[in-house]
Parts: sequence; C-alpha cells; structure tokens
Amino acid sequence: MSVAKEFTKGFWQELPPFRLVLGLCPTLAVTTAAENGMGMGLATTFVLVFSNVIVSILRKFIPAKVRIASYIVVIASFVVMAELLLQAYFYPLYKALGIFVPLIVVNCIILGRAEAFASKNPIIHSLADGLGIGLGFTISLTVLGGIREILGNGTLFGASVVWSTFEPLKFMVKAPGAFVCLGFLLGLMNIISRKRPAH
Amino acid sequence: MRDLIKMIVVLTVICTTSGVVLSYVNQATKEPREYQYIKFVQEPSIKAVLSGYENDPVKDRMQLAMGEDQEGRTIETTVFPAKKDGKTFEVAYSSTAKGYHDLIEVMVGVRADGKLTGISIMTHTETPGLGARIVESQFTDQFKGLDLETAKLPAEGGKVDALSGATFSTVGVINAVDTALERFPQIKKEVFQP
Repeated sequence: MSVAKEFTKGFWQELPPFRLVLGLCPTLAVTTAAENGMGMGLATTFVLVFSNVIVSILRKFIPAKVRIASYIVVIASFVVMAELLLQAYFYPLYKALGIFVPLIVVNCIILGRAEAFASKNPIIHSLADGLGIGLGFTISLTVLGGIREILGNGTLFGASVVWSTFEPLKFMVKAPGAFVCLGFLLGLMNIISRKRPAH
Repeated sequence: MRDLIKMIVVLTVICTTSGVVLSYVNQATKEPREYQYIKFVQEPSIKAVLSGYENDPVKDRMQLAMGEDQEGRTIETTVFPAKKDGKTFEVAYSSTAKGYHDLIEVMVGVRADGKLTGISIMTHTETPGLGARIVESQFTDQFKGLDLETAKLPAEGGKVDALSGATFSTVGVINAVDTALERFPQIKKEVFQP
C-alpha cells in the first residue's frame, strides 16, 4: 500500500473507536466535552506517532521474545513525556483528563499499531499509519465529545450553541450517555458503510 | 545463549535510553510545570486569603529557608506577600498535614500581628460528603481572625468547631494551619519591614 493510503485508512476503513472498536475506555470516559475529547485524541496521536516511528526504527534489532516488553517501554516513555508536557503547558486540560493521560500506555490502539504495523513496515509508512490512525481517533473523540457536550450542556468548545429555552439532557455527559451516543454513532456508521460498495 | 544475551542487551539499552530521555524532559519542563501549578492551584487560593493588595503576590514571591529536616535537607517555604504602598501587610503561604486519607494542603493568609486573614484548602483527598466538606466556606471562614492559640479544637482551648463525622479531616486542617502559624515568627522577621 502507498504511504497516502496508510495515512487515509485511519479516517474510515480503520477508524479506531468505530471501525476497529478499540480504545473504548478513553473514548467513553473523557468525551464529556469536545475540548477534552480533542485533547485526549491529540495526546494519543503524539504517543502513537512517536512510538510507531521508534518501533519501526528498532524493528530489526528487537528480538521477537522481548518485543512486547520493548514496545511497552517505548510507549510508556512517550506517555510520561506527554503527561509532563501537558502539565507544563496545558494545565487545565491535564486536570480535566486526569488519570486517563497515564492510562494511554494501556490503550490497545497504540500497542496494536506497534505490533500489527510498525514492527513490520518501514519508517515513513509507520509514521503515516500513526498519524492517520491518531487523527482518526482525535476526530472520533471530538465528534463524540461535541455531540455529548451540545446535548448534555448546551455548549460546544465552551461556547453556547443552543436556543435559550433548551433544557440540557444532563444524562448525556454522564456514563450512560457515553454508551448511548457511541451506540448510535456505531449504528449510523454501519448503515453508511453497508450502502457503500465493498472494497 | 546468544539469544538470551541479545535480549538482555537490547532491553537494557532501550530502558537506559528511555530513562535518560525522560530525566531530560523532566528537567526541561520543571520550571513551566511549577509556574502552571502556582497559576492554577495556588493563585485562586492566594486570592481567597489575601485582600486589598496592589502588587502581584505571585510575581513577588520569595523562597525562604525554614531550617532543616531530620535528613539535613533545607525546608523551603514559598511566601506570597501582599503589598500596599510598597509595604508588606499580609502574607500567604502553604503548609500540609495528614488528613483522614492523605495530605491536606492548606494556603493560609496571615496579618503582621499573627492573626489569620483566612485559609483555603488547595488539595485534599478526603471522603466526598464527609471530610471533603473542609473546602466549604462555612468551615474555612471560622479561621478568620484566629491565631496560634485559638486555631484549635474547643477541647484544647480553641475556637474551631469540628465537622460532624469528619474529626480526622478537621484535625488535619488544624494541624496544617498550626504548622504554618508556628513558622510565622521566622517569616515575619524576614518579610515584614519594621
């Protein structure tokens, strides 16, 4: 596959939370607002891109038996880096994401890409793959967070977007709202992909 | 055997590199992280306990050495002075004490005469609904105007009413405030102009 194709597959074919149905823990937990979803997505993208590149560079040196341990060390290092950078430059976001920043390390998308893709492909392809999947994840989380924020709080990125008599559905920003919203989006995407001709 | 050695070498190299890089990033982000912490955690508390100042207490902050702990390391306190006409009339600084679960970090504001202008709880992990009520103004407002003698439980001759069902949390806050007030004479010497 070409580099461009590796990049674009993350936006539909292998869109992480909806098509691969991976990484659901942060998807459900932090998407209470569009901004949190986007922040989480970008932090994950940062980790994903760099861990993919490093794993791809090291793929010929890492013995098969200790590969998972090596990948986790690489991923964990970038997660700690992301956490320190968030703390240093985006403190309110760091507070809002809380425990889910360190938990990026166990996000199965990242280890999944390292194991399934970066360990078998050249650096440029791995970079494109990480960037595509990461941005797909970011867009998914932002959309999910946006829908929940509009319905549950009447705002989008903190700005009011609804008419004045709108009564926010508080349950949309709580845990059940996350499941309901994710379910509807999954269903919608399945309908769309069924109508599209198969590849 | 060769496989085993290769595995050990590769993992060691990866972990060492990771450690070196992380310690570098940790050093590089130390200052901005401290600044953000002051801006988002301490500044709201400073504003809550100090009033009527014309300067920027965060910008004018001072590091004071407060003696040494058991292991010989210097204990430092960051003091935020409130100034009017160039003269310090109040200071804010923080101290910690053990609550029911973990440490409670309290910002205290103290006037030149050693009386509290107010306290504000910065961080705590007390039980929601019980100990967590230490952040409510109904509780913290009691400390206004108290000094080292009176910032204690009534049983010890003080004037602080404990929160019902949260004695440990209350005592934690009182201990933190008292620790802060015990340090005040030394701070007074260095900060307040005669």
